[in-house]
Amino acid sequence: MWNAIHNAFAGSAWPLGFLVYLVLGAVIARPRGTLGARAMAILGWPIELAQKLRGHGPLPYLFLLPNLLVFGIFTFAPLFINVGFSFTEGQSINFADRPFAGTDNWQRLLAETQIDTGAANLEDDKFYRAVMDTSVFVIFQVPIMVLFSLITALVLNRDIVARGFWRSIFFYPVMLSPVVVGFLWTLILKRQGLMTVTLMEWGWIDAPIQWLVDPAWTMFWSVFVYTWAHLGFYMLILLAGLQAIPGDLYEAAEMDGASPWRVLRKITLPLLMPTLLVVTVLSLIKAFQAFEELYAMQVGWISIVAYIFETAGLRGQTTTHGLGVAATASLLIAGALAVLSVIQIFLSGRSAR
Amino acid sequence: MTKLQSLRLTCAATALMAASAASADEISFLCFQNGVECDVLAGLITDFEAETGHTVAMEVVGYEIVRDQLENQLQTNAAPDVARVNNLGGLNQYYLDLTPYVDVDYMESAYGAVLPWYRAPGGEDQGIYGWPMELTVTGPYVNVTMFDDAGVEMPGEGATWDDWAAALAEVQETLGMDAALAMDRTAHRWAGPAFSYGAAFFDDSGVPILVDDGFRSFAETFVGWHSSGLMPADGWPAGTGTAYQNAAPLFLSGSVAMHMSGSWMISNYAENITDFEWRAVPAPCGPGGCGAMPGGAGIVAFSSTDVPEAAAAFIAFLAAEDNAARYAAETRSITAHSGLQAAGVDYGDTDPAVAAALSTFATSIARAAETTPQAFTFQGYTKNFVIYGIVPDYITQAITGAMSLDDALAAIDADVAAQIAE
Repeated sequence: MWNAIHNAFAGSAWPLGFLVYLVLGAVIARPRGTLGARAMAILGWPIELAQKLRGHGPLPYLFLLPNLLVFGIFTFAPLFINVGFSFTEGQSINFADRPFAGTDNWQRLLAETQIDTGAANLEDDKFYRAVMDTSVFVIFQVPIMVLFSLITALVLNRDIVARGFWRSIFFYPVMLSPVVVGFLWTLILKRQGLMTVTLMEWGWIDAPIQWLVDPAWTMFWSVFVYTWAHLGFYMLILLAGLQAIPGDLYEAAEMDGASPWRVLRKITLPLLMPTLLVVTVLSLIKAFQAFEELYAMQVGWISIVAYIFETAGLRGQTTTHGLGVAATASLLIAGALAVLSVIQIFLSGRSAR
Repeated sequence: MTKLQSLRLTCAATALMAASAASADEISFLCFQNGVECDVLAGLITDFEAETGHTVAMEVVGYEIVRDQLENQLQTNAAPDVARVNNLGGLNQYYLDLTPYVDVDYMESAYGAVLPWYRAPGGEDQGIYGWPMELTVTGPYVNVTMFDDAGVEMPGEGATWDDWAAALAEVQETLGMDAALAMDRTAHRWAGPAFSYGAAFFDDSGVPILVDDGFRSFAETFVGWHSSGLMPADGWPAGTGTAYQNAAPLFLSGSVAMHMSGSWMISNYAENITDFEWRAVPAPCGPGGCGAMPGGAGIVAFSSTDVPEAAAAFIAFLAAEDNAARYAAETRSITAHSGLQAAGVDYGDTDPAVAAALSTFATSIARAAETTPQAFTFQGYTKNFVIYGIVPDYITQAITGAMSLDDALAAIDADVAAQIAE
């Protein structure tokens, strides 16, 4: 270990720099009090100095800075780059090699006629199909997810035997990598998988069914697996919400002889509403972005993210305009999601009042 | 020491340093490995380092890294000096022309048939861009044990796809299998049979005209093979969009009696197939010839390199006849070196199935060059990867009934035109 530490510092000037920093701190901060307080004063002298000079006002921004930098680099910069991609064309990711294209990519994505060839456009059909398929997924998945995570949370909030065990059982899938979830369920649901073999042994089906690809089943299993994989996360949020409801309300209700159903409707649900809203919005956004599990399972439909992923050339089939078209599609989806979230927050804000 | 003296000394020192830097450069080399390619190259690299004093820093990655990330690295000047690639024409704009550094006559005489795949379209580009390290060719593997068990005779030399389909159907029927013929989900494997059915793929000036009578005829047959159950439901129909799917697991597990794949699977099958006898058979024929898609990876240098001379020297070293022969023998691949092809590579004590497969595939390439030259045009076409994905996308929809075959063929034409438009 000493070798490792020695190597880490070898040839570096920073241990000396750190020493100078500490000496400077001892001079400037002139530490007093207990040993701990002195050590902190020597270590944190720039902050104390800034406070002395400018007061407490700017400090919060200083503490926000690291997080803002991370957000800026990994969230806002890609957003702006995406906008840039959607208004320029070419195969390169380098803006120097991407001429301005105006609304060409928007037309390539949405117009009836393909502007480069003059023939009928196929991209709008592909995009439209991905949007419709994803919408079907969201419409089924979100209510099912909210309902089941609510039921699970309500049950696991009661005093049942081995409560901690059951909670961890339901939370466990969240900790699995989405790719692992995908492969796990592929083993069960593929053509010669566990499901088919079992059902055929029981004589319930005569021929193997490809649960993940069969048009009649692919959406059902997509919703099922996705809900299975993410239920624990929303259950946890709802459990926290349930535990924040004061116990004396339930005691009062019990004294008044209110039925459990009435307690649920008049106390639990109204007080849980803000948490339920968070869960609904989060699961809605996540469902629109569903990709990893579905990709790993190779389901028989193309989600919006898969469409964007593929069109952008991320599977190695780069096309002349793919990147711009994919960026345009992702902006459209981001816009739609933002509108959905705002509407939902507005509606629930009104009902809460 | 006077000012002049010290200036002279500095100059001398700088010159010395520059000279030593020129004589011993470090070359960064990105290598993707499907089998043992990079391990074999590592042996050659040791010799190269000993001979020239240059060092080669090889990074071994999976194929997906090269496929999905290399071009972005090239666009942002973050690329290695040298890389193993297989999208040969597609990356042309980034290549370093080795003409000033290598023996042009030798390269042309040894690799002249393959070098055009690396060049820009139009025929004006005469550059030499890399070492074609191997040739690959598409073709079918059969499960001989299944044919024996079913008592069906395998179609012989010159058999057509229809003959094979009939024989496979008989095997399937006799052994009660779910399917008999599997194909990787990409137009790269589909193209060979389509050539056999007479698809031209390109007009005389090299512009893709995918859907013609031959293409339509094979598309109809191919959809028919799915509706009759000859081809498995968990093959092409189980994929969506332009996604590639490897059908090898179906062949390995004994679910099908034939896998339409290619010569790069030889070492995999030699190693992993233990419970049945397998064999590579010649590319089946048809009215259009005996179609097979040639291909193969190569080692190229990029114009962004800081060490062009060392990079070119490395490629020239690998391309030398001895080293090319050693590479082919140790990786059990088909060499792209015409002299070695004529003389024959000594594969040593190779397993007889492997030796037979190598010679079968080598014959397939030669016959494809004769009867279906469009295969070579397709392989050299810079945007062929786009077509590889679009064809399965729509043909799958015709198989599953999501659209009619006519609509699917029209869509292939329109989508290819849109995706290759500049």
